[in-house]
Amino acid sequence: MGQTLKRTLRENWLYALILIGLIAFPFIVGAITGSSPNGVPRGDRMIMRGESVRWQAVLIELFILSILAMSYNLMFGFTGVVSFGHALFFGLGGYILGLALEYVAMDTGVALVVGVLAGVAVCGVVGLLVGLVSLRLSGVYFAIFTLAIAEMFFIYFGRLPLTRAEDGFPITELPIWLDPAQSRLTFYYVALAFFVAVFLFIRRLMNSPTGAVFKAVRENEDRAQAIGYNTLRYKLIAIILAGMIAALAGMLQILLNKKVGPELLGISNTVNPLLMTIIGGIGTFTGPVVGASGLHLLDTILRESVITIGSLSIRIADVWELILGGIFMITVIIFPQGIVGTWQRRRGKRVG
Amino acid sequence: MTSTIRRSSTVAIAVIFCGLLLFTFVRSGGNLGNFGITVLSGLFQGMLLFLVASGLSIIFGLMDILNLAQGTYFMLGAYVAYDIQHAGGVVDLTQTIPNPNVRFPLALIGAVLVGGVLGVVLERGLLRRLYSRPVFQLVLTFGVALVLTEAIKAIWTTTPYSWTEVFGLRTQTFELFGQAFSVYRLFIIGMGFLLIIGIALLLRRTRIGIIIRAGVEDSTMVEALGINVRAVFTLVFTLGCAVAALGGAVAAPFLGASSSLADAFLLQAVAVVVLGGMGSYEGSAVGSLMVGLAIAVAQDATIGTSLSVLPSITPMLVLILILLLRPSGLFGSTR
Amino acid sequence: MTDILQVQGIHTFIGQFHILEGVSVSVPKGSITVLLGRNGAGKTTTLKSIMGMTPPSKGTITFEGQSLVGKRSYTIASRGIGYVPEHRAIFKDLSVAENLQIAERKSGDLERKSDLIFELFPDLKRLYHLSGGSLSGGQQQMLAIARALVPDNRLLLIDEPSEGLAPVIIEHLMNAIRQLAAHTSILLVEQNFRMASKLADRYVMIDNGQSPISGLMADLVKDEALVQRYLGVAKQGAQPQ
Repeated sequence: MGQTLKRTLRENWLYALILIGLIAFPFIVGAITGSSPNGVPRGDRMIMRGESVRWQAVLIELFILSILAMSYNLMFGFTGVVSFGHALFFGLGGYILGLALEYVAMDTGVALVVGVLAGVAVCGVVGLLVGLVSLRLSGVYFAIFTLAIAEMFFIYFGRLPLTRAEDGFPITELPIWLDPAQSRLTFYYVALAFFVAVFLFIRRLMNSPTGAVFKAVRENEDRAQAIGYNTLRYKLIAIILAGMIAALAGMLQILLNKKVGPELLGISNTVNPLLMTIIGGIGTFTGPVVGASGLHLLDTILRESVITIGSLSIRIADVWELILGGIFMITVIIFPQGIVGTWQRRRGKRVG
Repeated sequence: MTSTIRRSSTVAIAVIFCGLLLFTFVRSGGNLGNFGITVLSGLFQGMLLFLVASGLSIIFGLMDILNLAQGTYFMLGAYVAYDIQHAGGVVDLTQTIPNPNVRFPLALIGAVLVGGVLGVVLERGLLRRLYSRPVFQLVLTFGVALVLTEAIKAIWTTTPYSWTEVFGLRTQTFELFGQAFSVYRLFIIGMGFLLIIGIALLLRRTRIGIIIRAGVEDSTMVEALGINVRAVFTLVFTLGCAVAALGGAVAAPFLGASSSLADAFLLQAVAVVVLGGMGSYEGSAVGSLMVGLAIAVAQDATIGTSLSVLPSITPMLVLILILLLRPSGLFGSTR
Repeated sequence: MTDILQVQGIHTFIGQFHILEGVSVSVPKGSITVLLGRNGAGKTTTLKSIMGMTPPSKGTITFEGQSLVGKRSYTIASRGIGYVPEHRAIFKDLSVAENLQIAERKSGDLERKSDLIFELFPDLKRLYHLSGGSLSGGQQQMLAIARALVPDNRLLLIDEPSEGLAPVIIEHLMNAIRQLAAHTSILLVEQNFRMASKLADRYVMIDNGQSPISGLMADLVKDEALVQRYLGVAKQGAQPQ
């Protein structure tokens, strides 16, 4: 037993190091900047002021984006299913949890559990239905189909009076220990826990026989079928799992922002994981995380900066999407394996 | 076997058209004016869609690429035309060419040129490298749409523009059974018809048309006959983008220029292309008119009612239905 | 006799699969040369490598003294090589007339060749304005070959023309191909040994991606043991389809 533990640690020393770093992060930042990881007390509440809590929020957002990107990578990178409707799961998860917390007369703690379970279950079922109905369509058609479905939900929720249409509704009923506006540190660790859990789950899954079939389906679906695999079933599983994980990300997002709105179902929540996965490295374990983290950190750091070329001053915040798109295009054309993929190639390792 | 498919498609088309027209007629309570307006509105919408969808369809049939940037070219055309026609912006011609009636054709030409040039650049510079990787091609056109949209937002800001410049045709109206309808819209419909016929003639009567039709079926064989298909790809792609830009330019006096144009028109155009059959020119023409009419009918039927969301999701509904029932569309081959 | 086409030691990969492992083929000018071999031996791939569709990674291909390696298919075709692929590949949505027109490389090609084409394939005159898709298998095959005759092609690559056709049609086809040899050199792929042996002057045996033997057809026909070894059938019968 000790032997396996030692070997696991040795092979994954970098991951372990990063994990320890992430756990200690709020305190490290707090120590460097002299701010408290718990925020600043005002009266009998804590408010979120100070560098440590600010950076905790940045990292929480990073975890959420990484989870979303990893879910997309599971479906697209590992199994080869091209979907343009991923925002559907992200948004549905968020909406269902939000509805459970705000609209149902339940004790908040219970509502939380019910909401999470319901959201994950519903997204799993939606994934199943969408897959059953449309997986027989070939690649491009399937992608368009998923896009149409997601857009429909986006427009529908954007006009639904129940959820206050395009304004959305705020989350007011949240247990204090989880509220990122009061106990951000706890929420930070919750988000980190989910992040690690999803990462480990996907790694475990892909190293299992099921994962091997996923890869076979991506490589050459006809051959996988000829060998005897029911590729439809495996694609379905990939979509359902990806959908459920995306739902979790959506739930974390509404808790962080304490708001539920139709933008959750908007196209940018499909575009972002797609971009981050490809830039980071499609079909690798760390690719989506690297992509999501790198881009989010870059965005955070550069957001306020201004570039001056001659008489023209450009605010980075205005052109961030343009820069992102540019990086994306360069990646697709020159480094299709992404950051991690290209690095692995250089080192002679097999990808994924 | 192909003839039975053709026949059932023709029947289906006839039924749907008649159904839509009948529904509108009944709704208007025999008021020919209202009926006429809805039909003309549908034709107008259909023509705009055709300008985007025809390129999308042929490009897909020939090159197996779904150009997700097609809607963005439409939007680009709108912005360029707006910019040329109005004061300020990137190009200001209000001093050198004071007559707005003269500026307008220039605006259209400018939009077409910009669309065409960017189309060539995109195809030769980017897409060519990815012929062997279809999945990435889709992703790439998506990326181009993104970059183009952001570039447009960066140049012209995110504030939507409404067309304020007045020019001849724009202000004139004519009477149809007691209702006023803009002459400009009629001009667009007429131009659209000319384009439909023109492209059809191009495809049926000219050598390049034969090459394109053959290429849609089997581009490898066309190359084995001694024809440089890649050059044909570039030509078709460029024309597709230029025509889409023309669509945006022509629609701009009505729709203005805003950053939401791309998404709206892309999804609608995709619905048209799938409905008509990927790669089928006739399909994109018929499909455009059908979807255009359907949207106009939906708008007319749901004004002020609780179902007002219907017109916006009509294209998506059409798309989903077609994909479920008959993915090859009306005229597509069941390959 | 000079060779119009010389293929030497080509290696071709399709994906990771090493299909051709050093194939050499020579086609003397004015002859009908046939590539023989079992299913999957690499005959079609050899033709495709010559046409540039599955380019070889090693080896040389020379046509009329000029190298074809590394050139795009349309350049190779325009040098004077006509390709009639397996399954004909005629354009179903185009009419017979358009199928022929598209093959023109210089304006007036079709006009110049129409006498020859209608002499060899009189049916095409009757079917001239019908769509390619409405033709029978045999008629499509005629069209595919006729298409290769339109421009000035000095070499025709024909892949399995008799596949799926009735014996009567095959006879007609054979006559046509024999008459063609007067105008152009032909490299044929045929599984039907009976047809091949009656048509070709020379043969090249393709076996497992290599070309172990070649020579005069007249000699091969006498050597039953050789035929049995590489084709696995008695020389009298046609290959089971």
